[in-house]
Amino acid sequence: MIAIHNISKTYGEATVLKIDKLDIPRGQSFGLVGNNGAGKTTLFSLLLDLIQPSSGYISNKTIKVHESEDWKPFTSSFIDESFLIGYLTAEEYFYFIGELRGQTKTDVDKLLAQFEDFFHGEILNQKKYLRDLSKGNQKKAGIVASFIGNPEVIILDEPFANLDPTTQIRLKGIIKKLAEDNAVTVLVSSHDLMHVTEVSDRIVVLNKGEVVKDIQTSEATLKELEAFFAGNAVQSSEEE
Amino acid sequence: MIKKFLSLQWKEFFRSAAFQKGIAIKILLVLAALYFGGCALILGVGLFFILKKAVPGIDPMTTVNNFIIFWFMLDLIIRYFMQQMPVMNIKPLMIIPIKKKTIIHFLLGKTTVSFFNILPLFIFVPFCIVLLFQNSDFQYAGVNVFAWFISVIAITQALNFLNILVNKSNTVFYITLGLLATFGALEYFGIYKITALFGMLFNGLYNHPYLVVIPIALACFLYYLNFDYLKKRFYLDGAISKEVKEVETSDLSFLDRFGSISTFLKNDVRMIWRNKRPRQVIFMSCMFLFYGLIFFTQEVYREMPAMLAFASLFITAGFLFSFGQLVPSWDSEYYKMMMSQNIPYRQYLESKWYLMVLAVLVSFILSTPYIYFGWDIFGMIAAGASFNIGINSFVTLFGGALNRVPVELNAKAKAFSNTQGFNPTQLLIALPKMLLPVLLLYIPYVLFGLTTGIICLGVSGIIGLFFKNYFLNIIEKTYQKGKYKTIAAFGEKK
Repeated sequence: MIAIHNISKTYGEATVLKIDKLDIPRGQSFGLVGNNGAGKTTLFSLLLDLIQPSSGYISNKTIKVHESEDWKPFTSSFIDESFLIGYLTAEEYFYFIGELRGQTKTDVDKLLAQFEDFFHGEILNQKKYLRDLSKGNQKKAGIVASFIGNPEVIILDEPFANLDPTTQIRLKGIIKKLAEDNAVTVLVSSHDLMHVTEVSDRIVVLNKGEVVKDIQTSEATLKELEAFFAGNAVQSSEEE
Repeated sequence: MIKKFLSLQWKEFFRSAAFQKGIAIKILLVLAALYFGGCALILGVGLFFILKKAVPGIDPMTTVNNFIIFWFMLDLIIRYFMQQMPVMNIKPLMIIPIKKKTIIHFLLGKTTVSFFNILPLFIFVPFCIVLLFQNSDFQYAGVNVFAWFISVIAITQALNFLNILVNKSNTVFYITLGLLATFGALEYFGIYKITALFGMLFNGLYNHPYLVVIPIALACFLYYLNFDYLKKRFYLDGAISKEVKEVETSDLSFLDRFGSISTFLKNDVRMIWRNKRPRQVIFMSCMFLFYGLIFFTQEVYREMPAMLAFASLFITAGFLFSFGQLVPSWDSEYYKMMMSQNIPYRQYLESKWYLMVLAVLVSFILSTPYIYFGWDIFGMIAAGASFNIGINSFVTLFGGALNRVPVELNAKAKAFSNTQGFNPTQLLIALPKMLLPVLLLYIPYVLFGLTTGIICLGVSGIIGLFFKNYFLNIIEKTYQKGKYKTIAAFGEKK
């Protein structure tokens, strides 16, 4: 579904991302982990054609993302709050996204009904603009908006951060179900190793812009990841 | 302590993103400041002589006193729309051992040196100096002039504090609005000459210097009210918190008739309605409507069709210019989403174009009272509107493509520190917007007469409309070329 070829991104002298080859097949739920500055958001931004690659290209369903916009109808994402329109209410925002993706109001309402639990009564009918919601609630709205319009690729950057424990658990359920039911390709990045191993079929570890691990998730994965990041910590404290 | 605050303010000012601009902009800003300061200064110096000539036989001071209430009312209205509320980054100071009082005093003290309080000095200081040193039939005592001057400054400060309350508290807002409306109605329907009353009061202030204590007391009282108001609400969820407005939902389904672009139109209407900055633009656009009054009322300009064309163009261009030049910036807060969402660029641009055209049409309808100045003038306004729709709308959109300054939607633009969306390229593009129509009218006018000039200008707009698709294609390409740069620039924190 998604193919990365020799992609790299440099700012001046510093290379922040360099991936020779990475293929994500259709329907895979793909987890991306790495420390701050490892290049996770850079990779997602390249995938969404928000920044220009210094070399190489990414294709999404054989469409090169920086050459054509035809990947947009089947790709959706939530990266950060700048994906929300602050002066709209949650409903208005959902309908707006729905209209962009060719969905009627009833389609959107039907979809939203499935997320009643997830919203926990704090998103819909609030008489509040999105900019006045708490960070966590903004995130809930943004994540659900990315499910509108039957996308085939969903990209979520740090979806678990800022959410309360109940919502985190519900979100895990939602992502798992997405991956199983519709053969949707889900890309999730996270700092929470436990959550990400739970929802992903495959986990890629980025470190200083390079892929250092590519694991098919199994029982042992969490241990392996913990060992890797703990080792990293030991290593860096030795360096100091 | 105050010294520490001042140094914090200093750093905030000089390290703000707005200040990290090119030298060209700084020069322009200084020039603009000099221009406005200069205008005020000239007005201040000339006021006495102008009034003496315009209203012969009456003491210019009396004339000033009779009309000064309008100045103060205008001052208050402009303040309400333009003056930014004092915010110091208070949160980090709340848990540090500084007395609340100190912080509030500093906060309020800071507002007293705003641009809006300094500008009157530029007018009234020279005016008072002229009063004292001129040699005419009218002579003025130093004490009276000085006390009067202090009164004016005190009232200006009182308005400053009143405006803060008006902005913060709905009760004060409605009381002030009610009072202004009542005054206006009383005056307008001739029930009671309220302006005459104020004229008397201000003349009284001048004639009895000791009365200066009243305006000073008024300013102090309002200061105290502010202090009290802030002190009681000095909590995270109090006065310094962001205001959470109850949603006003409105049915915009009537916009659905615009088809595929209606999605964006609805969004834009909400954007304008619900955010402070765009509302300010609407206010500015309304001011543009009155632009003609400056030119059409003066005999001097009657025989200068170039100037008249200029004015006619501006009447319908208020929204077009002030909104249009910031076109992608209005969506800067969620631009990443717009760019990764399923949005055809073309529709996005087209909806903005329709919005601007709609605004020109509305301004044109509102400008019908100008028929009073004759059909020639109204013809020029119509031709100007046509040019605005057919040519200027595209030029403005094109200029927007080169503009990469993020706009904070829900914050009022500061007077003079507002360089958002203001750059040299923009200025270059603004030139043809204003010069081209003047030439289009003036050259045919010289050769064949005014009617031909008006027709030429009007037709040029219609021709422009025929090339709509061509123009939009060019603009779309420009936007796409600058996409990454724009995203990066909008992503930067202000």
